[in-house]
Amino acid sequence: MRVYLFPRSRPRFQGRDLGIVLWPSFLAACGASLLFFAAVDPLMLRDAGPRIFAGIERESGYALGFAFFWVTGAVASALSVYLIRTARAAGNDKDPV
Amino acid sequence: MKPALAAVDDAGEGAFYAAAEKIYPREIDGRFARMRKVAAIALLGLFYSVAWLQWQGHQALLFDLPARKFHIFGLTLWPQDFLYLALLLIIAALSLFFFTALAGRLWCGYACPQTAWTELFIWIEQWTEGDRSRRMKLDRGPWNLEKITRKGVKQLLWVTLAVYTGFTFVGYFTPIRSLGGQLLSGSVGAWALFWIFLYSLATYGNAGFLREQVCKYMCPYARFQSAMFDKDTLIISYDEARGEPRGARRRGTAARPQGLGDCIDCTLCVQVCPTGIDIRRGLQYECIACGACIDACDGVMDKMGSPRGLIRYTTEQALHGRQTHIIRPRMIVYAALLTVVAGFLVYSLFTRTPLILDVIRDRNALYREVHGDRIENIYSLKVINLDNAPHTYRLLAGGIDQMQVATPTEPIQIPAGTVSTVIARLEAPAAAVSGVHQITITVAALDNPAISVSEKARFIGPRT
Repeated sequence: MRVYLFPRSRPRFQGRDLGIVLWPSFLAACGASLLFFAAVDPLMLRDAGPRIFAGIERESGYALGFAFFWVTGAVASALSVYLIRTARAAGNDKDPV
Repeated sequence: MKPALAAVDDAGEGAFYAAAEKIYPREIDGRFARMRKVAAIALLGLFYSVAWLQWQGHQALLFDLPARKFHIFGLTLWPQDFLYLALLLIIAALSLFFFTALAGRLWCGYACPQTAWTELFIWIEQWTEGDRSRRMKLDRGPWNLEKITRKGVKQLLWVTLAVYTGFTFVGYFTPIRSLGGQLLSGSVGAWALFWIFLYSLATYGNAGFLREQVCKYMCPYARFQSAMFDKDTLIISYDEARGEPRGARRRGTAARPQGLGDCIDCTLCVQVCPTGIDIRRGLQYECIACGACIDACDGVMDKMGSPRGLIRYTTEQALHGRQTHIIRPRMIVYAALLTVVAGFLVYSLFTRTPLILDVIRDRNALYREVHGDRIENIYSLKVINLDNAPHTYRLLAGGIDQMQVATPTEPIQIPAGTVSTVIARLEAPAAAVSGVHQITITVAALDNPAISVSEKARFIGPRT
């Protein structure tokens, strides 16, 4: 019986994968921050939001928001890269494990 | 595991990628090089100088994020004015489509900050390390005193320029004059310092280190610009019919009798290319349409006594001997959309009322009977004076006969760019009120009849 649960060899990640993860998420974070902070004032989150926002100022709020969007985007990009790198190459289905 | 299979995997997974080779663009003079120089100087000059421009006592162009206000000369935009920013972004995108369809990558060749700063960094490199062949020789050579000095001075200038660029960039978001003072006295805030550092790093990395790789690997526009191209778009192209077969020949001799085309295969067009491509292999997405190869080839053709334009701005139609159509459905659609959106932006900017009114009904009481025969409702009004001047406003209420504003009794004074909360008590005769009524609350500036905003609200009385 052949088992194809895992990729046959360790996935090969390259240095440029880091760029592929960080760069598009950076662009997405720019856009998301622009839209989000046009509508939401960080001080509003501090005053009316949950307690984790207590103590933020506008400047730190913008920076944290941007970092949050960047990390979120980077996680999505990283998952994409991981799924692509760990997928079995087409045509290799017949290979024994 | 069979080793043979591992080898297959190696070939499939990235073994084909070679490290990017360093490109040494050869310096070139000519029509397009001069145009690019003028564009770079103009755009960078604007960037570095506009930050210091003052307008009526404040910075002319300031996207004041800490205060959540955008100052654009006489205009102050609030987060409530997001529509204008959205419209501006749409206009920018449509312009990009329009000009790309018309004349190819004008943006990349002349207006992109990546191009402009790379140009600036390369000027510094040429000044410190010399021309292309000297730079290549210097890089190959040993680390002697000359190499250390030349490289050191280049790095010093690059870093200085990058830091100043980062500082100027942050200066568009926090007032640059006070930021400069803080920087000199060492009292600059941590966040400002962080952003200055980040943008300095970005400038240095993009213009000094990455250069054409940004265009080749990082820029999304480079990948989708082909969607805007068609056979009538101006492109930089090598005239294959005229140039081939390429080959060396003596200066001043005619090419055709020797069985050759006009291209003498001098490879100057490749050497000057900032992205390192060979334009003779046809249009490639790496081409940023800077025109350096045109300048190089024109110079060679002049020397060879052949007509210019072996590499030139042309269209696919023209290359195949057909008529080029500038006015075509695509252009009409882009132009029409651009006109409509730009028109709407201008119209809404000119008819913008620098006043915002939010009406919230008092939550504690539906209504109150006052003076025996009158019904009172209470509202909390948020009035925002978006103007750059203070105004005095009158409060008006309509919708029910003989309705009056009981408080505030005096006109409301609001300084420039300030939010004011006003408690308004409205009274109407009990006889005229039954159940829920729609009313209109108006705030109007006393000194300018154009500044007036009305909001709908509910006035509630006892059911009779």
